Amino acid sequence: MTKQEQVKAIFIEEAGEIIEKLDVDIIRFEENSSDFALLNEIFRGVHTLKGNANAFGFTRLGEFVHHFEDLLDYYRSTQEFIEEYNLELFVNSVDVIKEVMGCELDAIADLPQSYDECLAGIKKLLAMKKNGGDVLEPLPQEQMLNDLAAEFGLSCGEQLASGVDKAIEVFQTMQRDGLYLYKIELKLDEDCYTRGFDHVNFLKALGEGAEGIESFFDMQSIPALEHFQSDANKITYVLIAVLTTKIKSEVEEIFEFLFDNEYSLTQIEKQPIQKQEETPLQNVESKIVQQSSSPQSAPQQSTPQQGAAESNVSAPKSTIRIDTMKLDELFDSVGELVIAQNFIAQNEKIRMIEDESIGRTIETLSKITKRIQDRVMSLRMVAIKDTFDKMKRVVRDTSKKTNKEIHLLVQGEETEIDKTMIDSLSDPLIHIIRNAIDHGLEANAQERTAAGKPTEGSVTLKAFHKSGSIVISVSDDGRGINKERVYQKAIERGIITGEENLSDSQIYSLIMQPGFSTAATISDLSGRGVGLDVVKTSIEKLRGKIEIESKEGIGTTFSMILPLTLAIIDGMLVRASEEIYIIPTLSVVESFRPEEEIVHMLKGKGEFVSLRGQHIPVVRLSDVFELQTKERLEPWEGILVCVETESGRIAVMVDELVGRQQVVIKSLGKSLAKLKEISGGAILGNGDIALILNVDELRPAIENANG
Amino acid sequence: MEFDGDVLTIDLGMSMEEIKGFEEFIRPRIEYIETIEIAEGGAFASSALLALLVSIKRTRPDIAIGFLDKAQHASPHYGTIHWKCHD
Repeated sequence: MTKQEQVKAIFIEEAGEIIEKLDVDIIRFEENSSDFALLNEIFRGVHTLKGNANAFGFTRLGEFVHHFEDLLDYYRSTQEFIEEYNLELFVNSVDVIKEVMGCELDAIADLPQSYDECLAGIKKLLAMKKNGGDVLEPLPQEQMLNDLAAEFGLSCGEQLASGVDKAIEVFQTMQRDGLYLYKIELKLDEDCYTRGFDHVNFLKALGEGAEGIESFFDMQSIPALEHFQSDANKITYVLIAVLTTKIKSEVEEIFEFLFDNEYSLTQIEKQPIQKQEETPLQNVESKIVQQSSSPQSAPQQSTPQQGAAESNVSAPKSTIRIDTMKLDELFDSVGELVIAQNFIAQNEKIRMIEDESIGRTIETLSKITKRIQDRVMSLRMVAIKDTFDKMKRVVRDTSKKTNKEIHLLVQGEETEIDKTMIDSLSDPLIHIIRNAIDHGLEANAQERTAAGKPTEGSVTLKAFHKSGSIVISVSDDGRGINKERVYQKAIERGIITGEENLSDSQIYSLIMQPGFSTAATISDLSGRGVGLDVVKTSIEKLRGKIEIESKEGIGTTFSMILPLTLAIIDGMLVRASEEIYIIPTLSVVESFRPEEEIVHMLKGKGEFVSLRGQHIPVVRLSDVFELQTKERLEPWEGILVCVETESGRIAVMVDELVGRQQVVIKSLGKSLAKLKEISGGAILGNGDIALILNVDELRPAIENANG
Repeated sequence: MEFDGDVLTIDLGMSMEEIKGFEEFIRPRIEYIETIEIAEGGAFASSALLALLVSIKRTRPDIAIGFLDKAQHASPHYGTIHWKCHD
């Protein structure tokens, strides 16, 4: 990757982050449009995006954000009340920015229709505001040259200074160690071109190694053609703001052949991080209520005063960007350290040494290793807050589309979750939330009133730890699931035969089966009959599961139960022949030694065990992996571990249950990757290697082997 | 530089010699040209071109130079250039 490509990749990543933040901030601002500190934050994001977009030739994005920035600038400087219908324009503008960014990245020539509409809306609103309520007539051509700021009586020099100050303000927010910020004034003489100097060449030289550069040309001295001569410089004043890796002497070197009166260079000191100023109390009601981060705390509705007293601008945090690859390598190394430490701690020869100091040292080593492991683990963990913030937008939009008033309650947003998992969680969450609003809640306020409920529907988004797992739940106070209707529908669709003895939870889970839909009509939000199936698959890919609880007339809760991290699993260690295997405990239902009477052999179908009315196929681990055994045990002589798989429950037959342990997952390399029955490997405390079973593939392996 | 009816299309990356040639070309024809367009994707090679465009606009304000109206141009080589033209 060339340096230019690297810079562009960084821009794309940063632009994505800015847009993601804008998406969240604009909804917060919609909730409290008197939070001008937040409006400032939005303005800064848009300004940075504009500079970066233009620098990389994304001119369509650059033009749009340029006008949007002007509008934001108007409101932030006047602190004027923003009407609700104009707030909608703000929200739509962020949508357009997202879409146009996509068009720019994929080099799509056609922009969405909303681009022109929204841009026209921004221009119109800005023109109205600056003309005291009247829409501006198009300016005559001569005036079109002039910036609207001129109408406010600012001189050209003042406008340039204001422009460069804004640029400096933005660059200060981007400044970090190794980056220096300079303000440069260029007053090149009339003969500069013939002396071999040009503003553009200086800018190009400054652009090398720069993270941001904006220049402001004063063109007021340019005469009409009658008095003009191209090679006689009439651009008498240029202001430049540059954020660069160059130290001051390197920048001075660029201008070393100019006369002293032709330039001045000022280094701008790094801005110290300041405490966020509190905004005054405002009497604004917020519909989307954010609760304390502790999920255990009793739900409290925030008062209007509380909601408005705190600005929504996130406090600045000192962070560094680390390649996740490096983080993974660090994690792997720590995994090795833990294994080595366990090996020492469990080594019989070392344990036999009767020396107290060795025992103490091993104990200390164990504590330190554990601490390092916890710290490194925490590097991968991020708060689910950002994901939850995005869901506020989903709730808002779905609420508008369905014309249902929604009260969103967010709990436990500080709960931390593996970064890899966060990225895969958004889509399932969006679908479940849309489903809850579209189908879970009553169709309208009348139906809710008739059911004795408040007209406003309630959706609760919650994250919390439970038994070593993370639970993310979406609850609604809607109609609840009609169990009987789901059961009948599942029979009609051939998903079940009707002879099964299913628990309530199993019946509710039927709605996540492929092709199942109880919705009378299909909306564009949810209910296509494929969504919840995809949600289930997505969550299972994260080694998680979904549980549904529902009470008719009261509401429904979808709970996604996820492992704390994708790098470590909680495993049940089992032995088959002389080999140790690991079964992820999340898929284990129960383990038992069966009575001889409940084991059956069905011709051509293999062994089955009857368990509470269900016939569960028995899968012998020794058969799957073709292990050498002294004698073939009968199922009632071994142990059956009943596990949940994509195609239903199976009973995995093993010789012995060894124990339960958290293990660091190791990939097996290309040669073993073809073995579908294995999802990874792990090094045990004694240094032995154990394979982690992919339970979904155990039954197909036996069926394929039997033809 | 291309001249198609009323529209003159120029490249942004003109050298000083080319700018001087453009200046000579436009002086006698300024009354006949309705629009000056800038070919997409270029970058300034000299600030003299920006000055010349502003001078043309001052000479004949009704000539359409959409590029100037934007009041800014960006390039990966020199960042964003903004210009202010009013008195």
